[in-house]
Amino acid sequence: MTITSLSFFLFLIGAVTVYYIAPSKFQWVRLLLLSLIFYGLAAKPVTFLYVLISTGMAWCVTNGMESGRKKKDGAKNLQTWKFIMVLTIVIDVFLWFFLKGREFITSSLWGLNQLFPSIRVIELPPVAVAMGMGYYTLQIISYTIDCYWENAKPQRNFLKLLLFCSFFPQMITGPISRYDQLSSLYEEHRIKYVNLAHGTQRILWGMFKKIVVAERCGIIVNAVWADFTLYGGIYTWIALLLYPLQLYSDFSGCCDIVIGVAELFDIKLVENFKNPFFSQTSQEFWQRWHITLGTWAKDYVLYPVLKSTRLQKLNKKLKNRFGKKAAKFITTAIGMAVLWLVLGIWHGAFRHIIGVSLWYWIILMLEDFLKPRTEKLNAKFGFKTDSFGWKFFRAVRTYLTYSLGIVFFRAKDVAQGFSFLREVGRTFTPSRWNPWILFDDSILKLGISYKDINVIVISVLALIAVAAFREKHGYARNWIDTQPVLFRRTLYVALLLAVVLLGAYGPGYSASAFIYGQF
Amino acid sequence: MTREEVYERLNKVFREVLDDETIELHDETVADDVEGWDSFEHINIVVAVEEEFGFKIPMGKTVKMKNVGEMVDLIMESGH
Repeated sequence: MTITSLSFFLFLIGAVTVYYIAPSKFQWVRLLLLSLIFYGLAAKPVTFLYVLISTGMAWCVTNGMESGRKKKDGAKNLQTWKFIMVLTIVIDVFLWFFLKGREFITSSLWGLNQLFPSIRVIELPPVAVAMGMGYYTLQIISYTIDCYWENAKPQRNFLKLLLFCSFFPQMITGPISRYDQLSSLYEEHRIKYVNLAHGTQRILWGMFKKIVVAERCGIIVNAVWADFTLYGGIYTWIALLLYPLQLYSDFSGCCDIVIGVAELFDIKLVENFKNPFFSQTSQEFWQRWHITLGTWAKDYVLYPVLKSTRLQKLNKKLKNRFGKKAAKFITTAIGMAVLWLVLGIWHGAFRHIIGVSLWYWIILMLEDFLKPRTEKLNAKFGFKTDSFGWKFFRAVRTYLTYSLGIVFFRAKDVAQGFSFLREVGRTFTPSRWNPWILFDDSILKLGISYKDINVIVISVLALIAVAAFREKHGYARNWIDTQPVLFRRTLYVALLLAVVLLGAYGPGYSASAFIYGQF
Repeated sequence: MTREEVYERLNKVFREVLDDETIELHDETVADDVEGWDSFEHINIVVAVEEEFGFKIPMGKTVKMKNVGEMVDLIMESGH
């Protein structure tokens, strides 16, 4: 059962009804039971054991730590509990890596084999993986560390903690919530029109992004990637530039549905996207894309690494020898290398580390290095950096940078990623130069019609309009709320009709998995 | 030490780390208000504050601090 399937929506109607009948302070128990039922319907029930193990360890260690703190020799006790805490985190990571990282091990060996043929590739047998493992593992780790840092109070009720880890909407693609952000899970909730209206709106918007935009872009991207050497030229550029749009509408569409579903239960989840394609720099892009993963990595990886005694000692040495700026640049480079390595491993593929992580590490360091220099140049030549043209140019540059890196996310391995980029580069050679495909009917070879192209163009304009509104005035829903009933109802019906009538339900469609559902 | 004295020393620390003599901090000042106060400089600032006031800011507080006011509260609580 995926969250775009009819069975999910039938489940959802039942779940909302059960949830709001006779509100009480034990409503969270219903939410937990609903989450367990969802898990049973959407994944192999036995794999819930992994969720139970991780939650159980976190519950024991955080409560043990709390009681240890209160004892006479609290400091000594805390040291022991710190050791146990690190051990449970290692077990969590090991469990995740053992199950989810199998592809990573195989793909790493495969990648190394291409460089050094003497290294053999071992195919590991498949194992059943827990749903949303990459997401709930990070939630559990953050909860445990927050309790250790005294930023969160340990949850004494095991079942309440289990609900935090397994709250069903976020088991698919996150967002990665912090414990203090989900305290409303345990409160009493009464049915409110505004929650049902906003939740439904958000779900419809997410469905629109996923089924109308992402699925349609996917048809084109998949067709080109299936044989990009045959297509070549401008076709590869179409796939290159369309894939970020596909990925965005797929992933952010899923997050919209998840946030909307949670809203139906009067639970506010954190936002995961903030108009990433409006970003002026790659650094800004990563503050607007998959925000909860980025802030998680910043708090629990980057900050501890940067503040570590070893790095601080190095910083001092470098400062004395090369000056403050160089010291900052080098320590930043080290911190970023660790951060991007962790993000690459989390995505579970060798190609992600080599392509996306390494690429972005270089880009971000380059941005950091060039920033003061370009600012000087801009001032010298009197560029109007506040003008629309300049901002548009920078946003396009950021999009293109992302398109080039994310090729390795789409590719099946590093070699295929480079082959694709080579084809993109060869576009401007006489044998590959084929811009006329944009003006004759060649493009229809990709399995789409002119209607599909029109739908993509109009949908993208709609996405841009909504995003531009959010940039300037905040969420469009707040504006919609102030409009007359007739306008609002017409808008809902139009959105519903768009999803039903314009959804790409062609032969390739199955209420299919979300790209980021694999983590 | 009074809150004003803490601010005087804290302004000096920020100006030194961020190379900006115009910095004037207040309780409500957040990272977005100060040019150059990014994730990387945040740690450099925290370490410089630790050295200036002679106490360790725990990792949990380093992550959670929302504004300069909270930093000043921490310094005052440390008694340095």
